[in-house]
Amino acid sequence: MATLELIHVTKRFGKKVVAVDDFSLRVEDGEFLVLLGPSGCGKTTTLRMIAGLEEVTEGRILIDGEDVTDLPPRKRNVSMVFQNYAVWPHMTVYDNIAYPLRLKRVDKKTIDETVREAARMTKIEELLDRYPSQLSGGQQQRVAVARALAVKPKLFLMDEPLSNLDAKLRVATRTELKAIHEKTGATTIFVTHDQSEAMSLADRIVIMRDGKIEQIGTPDDVYHRSASIFVADFIGTPPTNFIDVEVQVRDDQIHLVNPYFDFPLNPENAAKLRDYPKRELILGVRPENIVLVSEDEAIFSTQCLVSEPQGSHQIIAIELDGKIIKIVAPAYPKVRSGETIHLNFKQEAIAFFDKDTGRRIE
Amino acid sequence: MSTRRQWLKILRGAQMMLFYLVVITLVFVIIGPVFFVVSLSFLSAREAYSYPLPLLPALTVRYQLTHGERGYMLSVYDRVEKEYIPVLDTDDLEKMATYMRSRLGTSVTVQDIEAQIARLQQEDPVYFTKRANLLHNYTTFFQITRDAVPSLIRSLQICALTILISLSIGGMAGYAFARYQFAGRDLLKFSALFVRMFPGIAIALPMVIILAKMGFYDRPIGLSLVYAVGNIALTVWITASIFMGIPESLEEAAEVFGATRLQAFLRITLPLALPGLAAAAMYAFLGAWNETVAALILTQFNPTFSVVVYQSLVGATGQINLAAAGGIVMAIPTVTFTYFIRRYIRQMWGGVTL
Repeated sequence: MATLELIHVTKRFGKKVVAVDDFSLRVEDGEFLVLLGPSGCGKTTTLRMIAGLEEVTEGRILIDGEDVTDLPPRKRNVSMVFQNYAVWPHMTVYDNIAYPLRLKRVDKKTIDETVREAARMTKIEELLDRYPSQLSGGQQQRVAVARALAVKPKLFLMDEPLSNLDAKLRVATRTELKAIHEKTGATTIFVTHDQSEAMSLADRIVIMRDGKIEQIGTPDDVYHRSASIFVADFIGTPPTNFIDVEVQVRDDQIHLVNPYFDFPLNPENAAKLRDYPKRELILGVRPENIVLVSEDEAIFSTQCLVSEPQGSHQIIAIELDGKIIKIVAPAYPKVRSGETIHLNFKQEAIAFFDKDTGRRIE
Repeated sequence: MSTRRQWLKILRGAQMMLFYLVVITLVFVIIGPVFFVVSLSFLSAREAYSYPLPLLPALTVRYQLTHGERGYMLSVYDRVEKEYIPVLDTDDLEKMATYMRSRLGTSVTVQDIEAQIARLQQEDPVYFTKRANLLHNYTTFFQITRDAVPSLIRSLQICALTILISLSIGGMAGYAFARYQFAGRDLLKFSALFVRMFPGIAIALPMVIILAKMGFYDRPIGLSLVYAVGNIALTVWITASIFMGIPESLEEAAEVFGATRLQAFLRITLPLALPGLAAAAMYAFLGAWNETVAALILTQFNPTFSVVVYQSLVGATGQINLAAAGGIVMAIPTVTFTYFIRRYIRQMWGGVTL
């Protein structure tokens, strides 16, 4: 097991395209780190640079303190699970797992033990004699994981390994991946564009956008303390609601004003805005932090546009300022479309974002 | 309503009939010439030049022998005319036996003829039947054509060399086209086809001069070079599409798991590409094996088999039944090769099943 350091890593394709821009990161021993971002944000390129499949334009990559920037993939002692699994179709499952060990000149007996151990962990023991074409997608994926486990690498790299599985299998497999990680304690870099996958797997999440790091933090950090509008919008289903508001100071209190509501901030929130020079900002509220209250506690009332029952809760959509705002409310009492509802914000859980930069105001 | 339905039924029937007519025509177009050559290769020289041409060779030949003006008159039964046609009047029994062997396709010795002449004492004319020697054309072909067997070996050598050259160079180029992005890639790939746009005959003279200067004139290596140049274009396109069909991540996985680039290619990509490469080899083989024009120009004392077959057709000694036999002999390797490689042909177009 190992630590990984990326120091000012930049990747350019040709002269113009910057895929990864000045990326610096330190991954601790045994950590499960997820690179998360929309497609084209440079997360896969970053992973491929760590694996050595892509040359680094600028910067350095260190594994266990050793500079591996210019080493070929085979000398980095990493293993990788590919998005399309990349199991070798002309080899049996056994040979797929054993081939990397044979390349490392491990003796026959140890190979056999290691292969069976890896197969046992990934539950493919009875498939060892089959060829990949005889396996389902999920089984091929297990072979890819078993192969990656068997080499006992310093780093475990996974490039969207679950994205080719169907929805139900994806959720089941991700639990197993996490269990395997708990057992092996291998330092893992996992790339995905699925935020719920990232949330459920990661010790820390790196959210990337246009080749740059947008935020690094624990799942709680990125959810509750999103560093920018982009993160707040990307993380969570349904995503954060954004409302344009004006800052007004009246009677020694800071009010947030909008054609629909006007309410004073509590002292903690007010403190955040003390040094904010501009008059306008964007209020970010997660759907579960808008609460249904009685009329006299409400800061505004409106009509329910639609309500979507989810069993454990209901999602209520309202229209505010021409935008749809979503609210996650308890399953009962049921809210019907057209019904007038009274709303308030949980002040301890609201966030402010700079209208121009999109960054969070602390 | 019901009349309308009947009309539809008739229309559908007509459609089916038209469809089968087209299919049957196609079958005849393809099978017809093949049948013609096969049948021709078994006909005797007399049959081959008779009109109308018999569809199948006669299994037996019926003779009539009588006294003639110069000696003995030999007549042979004609299946079309349904009567005995006089073919030879001679007293030279050696000549008669040779004639019956080479023109009429029956194995007859002088002793056989003497025995029949002896019978002329009792009856006149004498009738007798001989079994036709169906393989006569084949044995004759190898007897009378100038070095048929050495040329066959030479042709195989040329094919092997052509496959080796075009697959190693074209295969490498195909791999590069499939795996690497570089400036002018598409133009270069397309320009590989330019070579095939020149008819070989148009550049025959410079070809002869260049090969002579290289010391390759009238040698297998010279011809295989010429064939390989034309073939590389095709091999490049075929192999490029094969390599494109093999996901790059398979190689990358091998590299991550400890293989060098070369190991990854040899152990992962090459075995997967092998079926397609075999199909590309088949194309090279067929091209080199069947080519005649360039071989005619670029060889003198060491012709290829196709040239030998060609020569058995032209000139004073040319006979179509012998050429047909040579053609069938020539087709045997290609048919065999194609038969064993046929299931890979589909994969040649990038449809590599994983």
